[in-house]
Amino acid sequence: MRILKGNPVSRGIALGKVYIYRAFKADVHESYFEAGKEDEYYKKFKDAVATAEKELATIVTSMSAESPEKAKIFTAHTEILMDEEVDEGVKEMIYESRAMPDYAVDEIFTDFANLLEKAKDPLIAARAADLRDVRNRVLRILKGEKESNLANLRENVIVVAHDLLPSDTATMDRNRVMGVITEIGGATSHTAILTRSYKIPSLLGVTDAVQIMKNGDNIVLDALAGKVLLDPEKEVIKEYQEKLVEFIKEERETSEYLDKIPLVASGERYSIGLNVGDTEPEDGYKYVDFVGLFRTEFLYMGSEYMPTEQEQFEAYKKVLANAMGNPVTLRTLDIGGDKTLRYMALPKEDNPFLGNRALRLCLDHMEMFKTQLRAALRASAFGEMKIMFPMVGTIDDIRAANAVVAAVKKELKIEGLAFDEKINIGIMIEIPSIGLIADLAAKEVDFASVGTNDLTQYLHAVDRMNPSITKYYQTMSPAMLRSLGKIFSDFNKAGKPISVCGELASDDIGAVLLFGLGLRKFSMNAANIARVKRILSLFTLEETEEIAKKAQNMSTEAEILEFVKAEIEKRTI
Amino acid sequence: MYSKNTELKNVSGLHARPASEFVSMAKTFESKVTVRRLDDEAAQPANAKSIIKILAQGLSVGTPIEIAADGPDEQEAVEKLFELVESKFGED
Repeated sequence: MRILKGNPVSRGIALGKVYIYRAFKADVHESYFEAGKEDEYYKKFKDAVATAEKELATIVTSMSAESPEKAKIFTAHTEILMDEEVDEGVKEMIYESRAMPDYAVDEIFTDFANLLEKAKDPLIAARAADLRDVRNRVLRILKGEKESNLANLRENVIVVAHDLLPSDTATMDRNRVMGVITEIGGATSHTAILTRSYKIPSLLGVTDAVQIMKNGDNIVLDALAGKVLLDPEKEVIKEYQEKLVEFIKEERETSEYLDKIPLVASGERYSIGLNVGDTEPEDGYKYVDFVGLFRTEFLYMGSEYMPTEQEQFEAYKKVLANAMGNPVTLRTLDIGGDKTLRYMALPKEDNPFLGNRALRLCLDHMEMFKTQLRAALRASAFGEMKIMFPMVGTIDDIRAANAVVAAVKKELKIEGLAFDEKINIGIMIEIPSIGLIADLAAKEVDFASVGTNDLTQYLHAVDRMNPSITKYYQTMSPAMLRSLGKIFSDFNKAGKPISVCGELASDDIGAVLLFGLGLRKFSMNAANIARVKRILSLFTLEETEEIAKKAQNMSTEAEILEFVKAEIEKRTI
Repeated sequence: MYSKNTELKNVSGLHARPASEFVSMAKTFESKVTVRRLDDEAAQPANAKSIIKILAQGLSVGTPIEIAADGPDEQEAVEKLFELVESKFGED
């Protein structure tokens, strides 16, 4: 039995057969045929188009009911496929130049895609991707390869792929896919977010998965511990079947807590918030009191150009509508040297995490920053919006950012555009230098939210992307607990809301400790809401306070983890 | 040959849904139908039955255009497409 390791991004267990998924890769060369075969090759092209049309029609039909928005993508693909200019262009190349159909298709579509890309309007330029998608479909059919998507699976499988594209996941048969394993992708990748929302166990970052596994291999996917067991022995299979039953039972018990009011055992009410990173409506909005973190990076990373004010405005408005009256905390752009934008040249930095990133970068690119603030402020006329700045290290940073907000508000007023005049402005606390003066920061802002992942990284001087030093990355070290305790009590004393939107808020042990340290606002992904509500329902306020106090005085993280874990087990087993 | 000038009045211009509607309507006529933007001397008439060519024109709100048709149903084609543009494609 061989064991592969990976990053479990969607919890669960799956036992089953491997299905290797390879997206089609076009490999076209300039090539011609001999005279006399024009009709034959043109017919070949027309047949391929007919097949492609059928494929697209099937996808549209199967998706129309469940996700009409996604079906529209494929309707647009059909229009492109049937475009008479495409037909004429390919026909001309076949009859006049005797170009092989695949070469002709590649040339014509690529020409048109380049033409669209040159359009001044970014929305039109983005359509070039659709042309390339249709080109690939036709080329694949010409090559005689079957449509390989995840829509028509014959049996239950565990999908193994290098990576999954949005178009793959859009068409995926959720009833047949028991698990997902990919070679690349992290906790915030598209695949991670999607599998979590579908509750499909998934393990990403499994090196060489596609080469090591074969179609039909029996495997166990343990997306709790983060491993894949190849060719498992009978006893192992039996053990995992039992684990699966237990996991399902636990999930069911936990899910009963989903729509319960968040209360601890002694009756104190706290708030649960939702972290979101796109404009898709999701169930999570129903079970929360606020949106504690709305990441806006998707608008910038998923685009071929700097997103316009109007596009951002529409997206922010959409999230406010999704939130059903709950306040939405919009975090301004949080990128830097490690995450680059295709359309923006950023200098390579030796230490991107200590570099010109997030708020620092925005203050350096005032046009970009103002555009986002204008969009956010305009959206604030349509629901309760709050604006939050990431990567704040000093009071100077807060004042600089607030000055830009004031300037933008003035502009909007002159232009007669509506916005919420009393909009709340807050900060992320993730740099220790601002955490240490939380009492002073609280005087300058309306609220704050702690990013526990980055706070750990900066407090412990540990690059969290570096796998060789993970043991130094301690989110619940005594130093972390003491820092958090000070931050919470400073903000609570000032009467300003403080929340945690980092991973610690949705960790079993973390949630208990945070509550004991004085936190009452926990923001997390939808998948964690029920579990956190359940864990906190097991403790009284007094108990959590005692636990937190003891933990703060322990010497090592290991001691703290062991101690709190035992307290949880006392109440669950 | 029959033609008429107008300008785009709907906010989103001629892309996405309005472009699709415009092209599907053009396809219902036998005549050759073209659209040419009038604010650019160098602009060539674009095949109105091709979604790709229409998109590539980058026609946004306020762009003056000429709709032209040549063929047996040229007048009807131009009038119908003209009406569609005037109706703002149902946008308010």
